Amino acid sequence: MTLDPPWQPPPWELDPSQPLYAQIAHRIRVEIAALRLGRGTRLPSVRDLAARLRVTPNTVMRAYAELEQDGLLETFRGQGTFVARDERLAHRARKRIATQALEHVRRVAADLGMELEELLRLGADSEGGAEEDVCGGGM
Amino acid sequence: MFAAVECDDVCMTAGGRPILRGVTFRVEKGEMVGVLGPNGAGKTTLFRAIAGIGLPDRGRIRVFGESPSWRTLVHTALMPERGHLPKWLTAADWLTHARRLYPDWDERAEKRLADEFEIRLDGWISKLSRGEAVRLALVTCLARRAPLVLLDEPFTGIDLVSREAIASAIVRECSGAGRTVLVATHDVREFESLFDRVLFIGQGRLVADESADSIRARGQSVAARYREVFAK
Repeated sequence: MTLDPPWQPPPWELDPSQPLYAQIAHRIRVEIAALRLGRGTRLPSVRDLAARLRVTPNTVMRAYAELEQDGLLETFRGQGTFVARDERLAHRARKRIATQALEHVRRVAADLGMELEELLRLGADSEGGAEEDVCGGGM
Repeated sequence: MFAAVECDDVCMTAGGRPILRGVTFRVEKGEMVGVLGPNGAGKTTLFRAIAGIGLPDRGRIRVFGESPSWRTLVHTALMPERGHLPKWLTAADWLTHARRLYPDWDERAEKRLADEFEIRLDGWISKLSRGEAVRLALVTCLARRAPLVLLDEPFTGIDLVSREAIASAIVRECSGAGRTVLVATHDVREFESLFDRVLFIGQGRLVADESADSIRARGQSVAARYREVFAK
C-alpha cells in the first residue's frame, strides 16, 4: 500500500494570547466537520506540522491527542495520524459546531432582549452600511 | 528518570559581582523552553554553566543527571551569543572541520540546513554579515545529534523572513529526536509560539517559571506577560 502525501494545512495565523493546541485542534475539527478533510486522509507528522506552524511538537501532540479523544482522528503506529474512517463522527462534529454557534447567537439575542428571528432579520437588513445606521447618522 | 536540566539554588559571580542569585528550575526531556529576560539578566552565564564552561559558586546543576563537565559536552550543543567561528576559514572549510570535531555530527542534517539557510559555502567567515554568521553557527549547533540544545540569542540582528526560517528549522531538527531545547532571548516577537514553558530571568533571579499555555489560558500572550514581568 502506498500512502498519499499528507494533507497540508493553510498557513494559519494563530492568536498568541490563546492556548495554541486548542486553536490547532479547533481548526482541524472545523476542516473535518466541513468535510473538506475526508475520512482516511493522512495528517502531517507532528514534526512537519510543528515546523510549518512554528509551534512546539508538544503543542501538536496535544492537539492530535484531543481530536483522538473525540474520535475524529486515529493514529496507527508507524503509519501516522488519519481522519477517522467512520464519517458519522464528522457529521456529529458538524452538528455540535452548528449547535454551539446557534447557542451563541441565542445568548446575544437574549442579551439584547430580542427574539432569535428578530436578531437575524435586523442583522440581515443592516448588512453593509450597518455602522452609519447604528451610530445615529454620524457625521 | 533524570530531568534534562536541573538547577538547584545556582549562584555565580563574575569579578566579585553577583550574576546569578539562587536560580532553581527543572527542564524535562523533550521540552522547548524560553529563557527570557533583558540584556544583562544572567542568561548567558546560566547557559555557560549548564554547558560546563563556568562553575557555580554555590548550588548544583545536573544535565541528564550528571554534573556539567567536559564529559557532558557530548550531550550539549551550545550556540553562544557571540560566536567565535574561525575568521580565517571559509564556511565550507569550517563545516569540514566541524564534521571531524564532533563525533555526533549528522552530515545529512548539515547539508539540509546549509541548503535551507542559503549558506555561501565559499564565503570567508570574516566577510559574513551578522545574519549569515548566526545561520552558520546554527548549522554547526543543529547538525549535531546532541540531546540538549542551548541557543543564546539566536535571533538578534536577523530579518523577519530568516527569523521564521530559523524558527521552523529549530522545530524540525529538534522534534523528531525528542531533543530538549533552551532558547535565551530578550526579544520574544515571532518566537513566543516556540516555547512549551518560559523562565523569566531578571537581575540574576528566576522571576517566574510558567507554562506558555497557562499564560495564554489567561488571555495573555507571552510577549505581554514579558512586558508585565519586567515593567518597572
